[in-house]
Amino acid sequence: MKNRLEEIRKEHGLKQEDLATILEVSRQTIGSLENGRYNPSILLAFKIARYFDMQIEDIFIYEEELL
Amino acid sequence: MKSKKLNYLTAVAGLILAGIGLYLVKTQTSPAGLMLTLPYICVGIGCGFFGHGMGNIISHNIMKNYKDEYKQMEIEKNDERNIAILNASKAKAYDIMVFVLGALMISLALMNVDLIVVLLLVFAYLFIQGSAIYYRSKFDKIM
Repeated sequence: MKNRLEEIRKEHGLKQEDLATILEVSRQTIGSLENGRYNPSILLAFKIARYFDMQIEDIFIYEEELL
Repeated sequence: MKSKKLNYLTAVAGLILAGIGLYLVKTQTSPAGLMLTLPYICVGIGCGFFGHGMGNIISHNIMKNYKDEYKQMEIEKNDERNIAILNASKAKAYDIMVFVLGALMISLALMNVDLIVVLLLVFAYLFIQGSAIYYRSKFDKIM
């Protein structure tokens, strides 16, 4: 799943460490999310969306796998 | 608060258990059967409990002065990615363990090792498999 987390974080002038502290997760989690290596739980996705005052779909882009 | 009490309780219980063990070692004149090893088991388990409880108390007291570090430690511990990694590595280790135990059982059986040893291993293997089935069914109901 792709996401716009890095772009949105930078727009808000935040460092990975800052966002991690705000969301109460590790900095590595933010890094992995931004790289698309890790998909967040629905709770974390909501937490991120709420913090940026956006919809989950605005941050996380669901793409159906092509068969 | 609850964990603080529990730590003190563990440390005190460990100290008492180790004390009982040492007392038994010193007072027994002609121990036989279980009493040959029981005092040493008491000392061992008591020391383990005491060390665990005291370690937690000391680390808790030190961490009180470093609130930021403590908070960071808690975040790292409860981080969902870290938990997912921990669970995935446990699952992999379980898969490997099943193969290793299976190979060990066959090897011991082929080596003509005492039947009781092989049976103990078989029961341990079956217990682990039984636990896996139990938890699968339990999580199937609650998830």
